[in-house]
Amino acid sequence: MNTSRENMIAGLAQELEPVRPITTRSGLALLGFATLVAFGVSVFVYDFWFGMLEGQASAFFWVTNGLVLLLGIASASALVAGGSPRIGQRENSPGWSAAMVAILPIAAIIALFTGEANHLHEGLNDPVALMCSRASIAAAVLVGFASVMWLRRSAPVAIERSAWLVGIASGALGTFAYGITCPLDTVSHLGLWHVAPIGISAVIGRLVVPPMIRW
Amino acid sequence: MIADEATISRLMAAAQDGDKAAYNVLLSEAGMWLERYFRRRVPPSQLDDLVQDVLLAIHNKRDTYDRQRPFLPWMAAIARYRWVDHLRKVYKHESKEIEDDDAIEDSGEEVTLARVSLERLFGHLNENQATAIELVKIEGLSIREASQRTGQSESLVKVNIHRGLKKLASMVEKAD
Repeated sequence: MNTSRENMIAGLAQELEPVRPITTRSGLALLGFATLVAFGVSVFVYDFWFGMLEGQASAFFWVTNGLVLLLGIASASALVAGGSPRIGQRENSPGWSAAMVAILPIAAIIALFTGEANHLHEGLNDPVALMCSRASIAAAVLVGFASVMWLRRSAPVAIERSAWLVGIASGALGTFAYGITCPLDTVSHLGLWHVAPIGISAVIGRLVVPPMIRW
Repeated sequence: MIADEATISRLMAAAQDGDKAAYNVLLSEAGMWLERYFRRRVPPSQLDDLVQDVLLAIHNKRDTYDRQRPFLPWMAAIARYRWVDHLRKVYKHESKEIEDDDAIEDSGEEVTLARVSLERLFGHLNENQATAIELVKIEGLSIREASQRTGQSESLVKVNIHRGLKKLASMVEKAD
């Protein structure tokens, strides 16, 4: 071993301080907390929809929000695990969960095309579509901020994958946080305008996040 | 590697608890392992810089090591990541002779090492990408020299390097 490396090792050993290993639990807690904050802000701004507790929500409301939450949990778990480097097979639960959520807009489009002519018009000219998408993305930004914080503190080595996961996880958890305050529970509204923000967040994550987490 | 996986994992756990002596041994062992790991894939003149770069990364990210998991795949993932980053940055005009890699042959942990090796990673590139990266980023030829050597146009050499590095970066965690 050369002197320069020996000196470097001696220096690093000399300045060594005990560290607390980061855990998956702490990463998930951070993202969970960010989701709760996003939910709190959504409730503060848009009010809680008590109708869902009084049996007014359609089955599709529960299915959509349940699947979106599942996608958020799966991608958040993968994101947090990716902060600890290792070589070996990673589970692809985010991929399968995303595929399940992708069924929702397909179902919405089929419903719109096979329904009466005015249904298609209603679905595509949904007056609150933009508001729901914007609110979901705003909530996603909060979760995305926490995700990037976590990845900067850890050591992601698959940068592109991590960036996609930041976008998908924050998009799904943000959409869920806002989604359960939204009283519109039709197939077309939920299937299109509560899923689109996840795709948009995923693309934004892929484009914006890599320089922030590269180390 | 002189120390086996179990020993070096224990050293890392002790280092996380602040044991300076254990850390010194760990980094020395890691340095020797990394030197052999990179030998065939980095010009000799850049080898020590890269090893030190990875040792520094290990130091800065030591809290991301999970004690329930083996140490070697953790370190190898960091080593691959820094290596791809190094290939992106480095551009040397002078050709360097590459020595043979004996990291796999002289170790007792062949299976693990084979799974984490740089050769395995490189094997996922197509022939043109691997050749372009090898000639320009590792041997240090210019784009024009690599173009003449391979018969690829200069633009194609650049494209193959770009795409090859992108592919390597996406496969840092891949085991097979």
